[in-house]
Amino acid sequence: MNSQTSTENRWIETILSLDESVRHRTLESLCMGLDSDALLNAVSELDAFRRDASNLYHRVRAHFFLSAIYRYYLPKTFPETQAGLLPYEAYQHILSRRFPEAIDQLLVVQKEQGPTLVIASALSRAYHQLGIQTLADQVRRSVRTVRGNQWMFRIGHPSEHPLRLNKELHQRDGTMGDYPILCEKTSVRMDFSHSGWSDIFFLGMDYPEGARVLNASIDLGVYGRDASTRPPVEAYLRVIDRPVLRLVSTDLGVEAEITEIDDVFDFAKDYLGLLKSALIASGVVPPAMEGCHQKISQLLKSLIGKEGLGLELVSKVNDIPKGSRLAVSTNLLGSLIAVLMRATGQVSALVGGLELQDQQLITARAILGEWLGGSGGGWQDSGGVWPGIKRIEGMLAGIDDPESGISRGRLLPKHTILRDDRISESSRTALQNSLILIYGGMAQNVGPILEMVTEKYLVRAEKEWEARLDAQRIFEKIVDALEQGDIRRVAKLTTENFTGPLQTIIPWCTNRFTDSMIEQCRERWGDQFWGFLMLGGMSGGGMGFFFEPSVQAEARQWLLQTLVATKREMQTRLPFATDPVVYDFAINNRGSWCEMLRSDEATMPDGYYAIVAPKLIRQDIRELSEQSQRELMRLNRSCREGDGRARWLLDRLLPQTQTDSDTKSQLPEMLRINGFDRTQHEQIRNDLLSGRIGLSENRLPRQTLIEDISLNDIIDLREIGTRYSRSSDDAFLGRQAIESGQVAVVSLAAGVGSRWTGGAGVVKGLHPFAKFAGKHRSFIEVHLAKSRLSSELYQCPVPHVFTTGYMTHAPIETHLASVNNYHYSGQVLLSKGMSVGLRTIPTARDLRFFWEEMAHQVLDEQQQKVRESGHAAILGWAKSVGEGSDYTDNLPQQCMHPVGHWYEIPNMLRNGLLYRMLEERPSLRYLLLHNIDTLGANLNPLILSKHIESGACLSFEVVGRRMEDRGGGLAVVDGKRRLLEGMAMPNDRDEFGLTFYSSMTTWIDIDQLLRAFRLDRTTLGDTAKVENSVRAMAAKLPTYITIKDVKKRWGLGQEDVFPVTQFEKLWGDMSTLSEIRCEYIAVETMRGQQMKDPAQLDGWVRDGSAEYIHSLCKWS
Amino acid sequence: MEINQALITAAGPGQSALPLQRLVDRDGIEKTALEMILAKVVNAGIDSVAIVISPGNEEAFRRAAGSHSDRVTFVTQSEPTGYGQAILCAKSFLGDSPFLHLVGDHLYLSSQSKGCVKQLIEVAAAEGCSVSGVQATRETMLPFFGAIGGVRLPQTERLYEVKRVIEKPTPTKAEQELTIAGFRSGMYLCFFGMHVLTPASLEILDRLVAIEKRPVSLAEALNELADRERYLALEILGQRYNIGVKYGLLNTQLALSLSGVDRDRVLSDMVELLASQKSS
Repeated sequence: MNSQTSTENRWIETILSLDESVRHRTLESLCMGLDSDALLNAVSELDAFRRDASNLYHRVRAHFFLSAIYRYYLPKTFPETQAGLLPYEAYQHILSRRFPEAIDQLLVVQKEQGPTLVIASALSRAYHQLGIQTLADQVRRSVRTVRGNQWMFRIGHPSEHPLRLNKELHQRDGTMGDYPILCEKTSVRMDFSHSGWSDIFFLGMDYPEGARVLNASIDLGVYGRDASTRPPVEAYLRVIDRPVLRLVSTDLGVEAEITEIDDVFDFAKDYLGLLKSALIASGVVPPAMEGCHQKISQLLKSLIGKEGLGLELVSKVNDIPKGSRLAVSTNLLGSLIAVLMRATGQVSALVGGLELQDQQLITARAILGEWLGGSGGGWQDSGGVWPGIKRIEGMLAGIDDPESGISRGRLLPKHTILRDDRISESSRTALQNSLILIYGGMAQNVGPILEMVTEKYLVRAEKEWEARLDAQRIFEKIVDALEQGDIRRVAKLTTENFTGPLQTIIPWCTNRFTDSMIEQCRERWGDQFWGFLMLGGMSGGGMGFFFEPSVQAEARQWLLQTLVATKREMQTRLPFATDPVVYDFAINNRGSWCEMLRSDEATMPDGYYAIVAPKLIRQDIRELSEQSQRELMRLNRSCREGDGRARWLLDRLLPQTQTDSDTKSQLPEMLRINGFDRTQHEQIRNDLLSGRIGLSENRLPRQTLIEDISLNDIIDLREIGTRYSRSSDDAFLGRQAIESGQVAVVSLAAGVGSRWTGGAGVVKGLHPFAKFAGKHRSFIEVHLAKSRLSSELYQCPVPHVFTTGYMTHAPIETHLASVNNYHYSGQVLLSKGMSVGLRTIPTARDLRFFWEEMAHQVLDEQQQKVRESGHAAILGWAKSVGEGSDYTDNLPQQCMHPVGHWYEIPNMLRNGLLYRMLEERPSLRYLLLHNIDTLGANLNPLILSKHIESGACLSFEVVGRRMEDRGGGLAVVDGKRRLLEGMAMPNDRDEFGLTFYSSMTTWIDIDQLLRAFRLDRTTLGDTAKVENSVRAMAAKLPTYITIKDVKKRWGLGQEDVFPVTQFEKLWGDMSTLSEIRCEYIAVETMRGQQMKDPAQLDGWVRDGSAEYIHSLCKWS
Repeated sequence: MEINQALITAAGPGQSALPLQRLVDRDGIEKTALEMILAKVVNAGIDSVAIVISPGNEEAFRRAAGSHSDRVTFVTQSEPTGYGQAILCAKSFLGDSPFLHLVGDHLYLSSQSKGCVKQLIEVAAAEGCSVSGVQATRETMLPFFGAIGGVRLPQTERLYEVKRVIEKPTPTKAEQELTIAGFRSGMYLCFFGMHVLTPASLEILDRLVAIEKRPVSLAEALNELADRERYLALEILGQRYNIGVKYGLLNTQLALSLSGVDRDRVLSDMVELLASQKSS
């Protein structure tokens, strides 16, 4: 057997083996020592294998191996100069989720041209997404095939509806004539163990032996607000006297009456998606009825057995914030499903507790509901429906299970309730007397983390796999400690789990806020602080702190104050959705519970009347149905009894005076002080509405000739960038310039990084995004650490400028002062932004262009449906609010926008900073300008030498393009070398002919730049002249219209994302001006890559980029 | 096992007039529904029948029984307290022998020469245990029937060993507990309204009624019977017609006529009716 065959076999053998020691071989051990040819052979064999593999997990594992080889191993075996081009069609296939076609096409190109950077990155992404898609499809199929769920996918017409509403629900009460109300109260769940995200279906279904959690149903009260704990979620159901489905969410303050069956499937139309999911998953509106175009009244007639009657479903969450990591949404879904299934006889008891088989069924339906709604949670999340503390464990699929032959494990886990004989009452009390549960206030998307966990498991990433095994050992110890009643040991173990295995598997599961809270607990409470417990997918949301019982009460008060203070201190750096909350909790030993409310007791919760009563009161009483009239009579009586309802009713019916703190009133002043130009704004609005500018008008004319650059027309340093010697002759000029104080660094920190936090409006530069040398460091700290190393190496302190904007200036200034500029020995300067724009409501034309004409990744089928339904809602919003009108319905900071990074250097001219720098340091000749997220940009003397030698005014750094590098590049446009923005491409396809992507890092010759502005070192001090010259330069550059997402926060941790229109001018367009001499320098990817999305972080660590950045830094 | 006696229940609310309805049978002869049911029973070799009726109906039922009236014993259920309770009213009549049980609002049309009742009785006699007549039914009809779960007996085509019985199950429950190997998805075996029962079923009913103090269904007792002794279900080759539902009587009459001597006449009447509807 030759060595090539043995390499190929090693991979497939690993996938197929039943021997655990072979099956669990790690990615690293498989890839060790393989050269390019061996890796190419391996991927070729693996690809052939995955095409024929009939077993789902064999196929999926091959996909993830392929993805990892293309992402982390193969690119290291060939030079960066093999950048290559990505076929546009393959890219389109990937965006449209046609992954097999994309892979086929990419493999053909790879075969013809050899491996390239861009093809490898595209193949990695296609295999990864195909793997995830295959898993998601299988989970969806498995959910459908659970016995008890299948029928719902067959019943497609309301007249065939096989469910009947329990007759008790449509028997009117004798005295008042009202229908009774069925009220379900359900706990939420807490996970004591956090066994390495092992409850993800993708893991549990392949590795049931390792899938286990210790899950407790808990009742909650908000510390300082509620007198006692109670089940946090409630669902109400009753018959109403109109043939509609009325849905009311009291926590979100919305209601809707549904008359068409199709509307039940429109999840994003309003905030009632969860209630709709419950209706579908409970079988009341079976999923097979989607698109049946029938009336809901027809369905209700079959279901209730009488004409003219309808159903009302009401949800209530007892003011628990979203993102608490206690699975509030899933348990509310479970509660809603439970009440609907009770009412339709699908579970055994109409009232009281639930039987074991009912809990299993509701769990299965809740999973179905989550997948229908596009959220897809884990299998332990509906634990609140079950009673007490239970072990939930994955199960090997038996021969009778629908999963048999498809996956090793079953979709649904096994629940073992640990009753008093396992965990005594005294242990439970001891736990409650020690543990304090909190919500940290951060609501973050855990989706990327779950994907990372899945991938690392399937390829058995070495240290992560060891960590997983460790987490399993810790899990058993936690169970044992809890059974022994040794809470101190529980706390020690959960802390060990958090700091050890969890952070090894996913370093991003903690953050600066969490670390800081743990540090403060240790400092303040010493040995009386027993330990930390992380809840859910990542910390910052739900967390637990164990204290010695004797100090628990005091610690609770302290914890609340400290959490709020720490949040205040960090809120500009980390995306908090709301203030932290401390809970009281109690273990719920009876599980979800239902009562039938009759006669006077048959009232809906308070929040319901706040939504429904004003609407009823505004109608003529004679037009109201009898039931509605009685509802008002009951409300009247309760208002008279003085329970506070009268007041809130008035608040909702009558307008109130606006207070000074009203954020809308602050906006004009904020605009004024930040340099808002009303005239320019009105001009842009007029142009937008008349169609002179807009997304489609950003593009250059179609006849523009776009060509790729020849390698002879750039300075290519990709191969020698990191290997050059600092003492080499090639770097002499640069080295000399740095040593003699001719260079300063400018980091652009005016933007808020919309993509980084999904429009949350925190200062990206201050975000402590990753750990270096054992500590979370922000972008700004990293940039200063690079300048510190440069200053030491060249024995000359380098001035470092951070440009700021209206949103980032004060936080950056305050933060840098508080950390004493990270003890940076050189000057740290801030260049304050001088202009700001006001966002506007997008036009329907631009929204359509954005969604339909611009390239977007199509989502998984159900998520895509939700997205498209959301588009219709957003179009409706834009039209109703007024296209092109000012966006003012948010915090002032969120209504304003920075006007593009072109203004950053002109701002340094306008605010006098550059003038002062040149005055103080006449030797200053060059600036290194870079984006806040271009972490690899530093004072590299070789590149600076090339810039000086070239004599250019601006030297732009470019990198070989990878799949994810979208948004323009280096091109020859009608014969001229220039940077071309993605928005300006006449055709999306043009970008795919360009080898290089702009990193935005620019070396600037200050004197040449001043000349281009018709200024010099002296006239730079003349404010009026500077203003005129900046205005004149701005006029030469295009204005782009863009659509950005902005978050609006409301309620308790709720967030909406709205697309808004803004305009910007971009720095790269300086390369279009004939009077500015530009040069282009190709540098290695690690230097030029940008950190745009937190989901990039994991790959960035694994491919060695983080280590590379660390090597450029010297920490204070 | 010999089956010599039968029990027909006709005391349910709204049910008391149904067996008195007149229809034209396959031979073109006008009869009451009750007379037709009794004819099938007698034809299957049973000579003693009890009918459970509500108070005051005996005379009308006796007349409706026609020529079979001398074989019939009427048992009165004084209050409509439940289906199980109705069966128990005839306990002393039934004694300690197996019996055939039919509901009074159903008519059965066999699709072969052997009548539906006869098919059931022959199997029960041969197997020596309780046997219920069943029919494959779509899940959309589950709200109307009792249904069974079980396994097909080896070497048989239409005979099943019953493991579980649920009255009007939801499709959710049916899918979890009543699926039958070899059946298409969404198809279940539902009661045909015809059973041969051993005395054990009466004992169980007796006990359930005493404990539950509420209307008890026959399905509940049969579910317990399946745990206690051998209990089979036979897929009957024929159709059942419920004359108690909307258009039930019309459908039953059409089914009778279209399978009998007047088929051509009824068909031509229907065509004429359709034609005149169109022209109007």
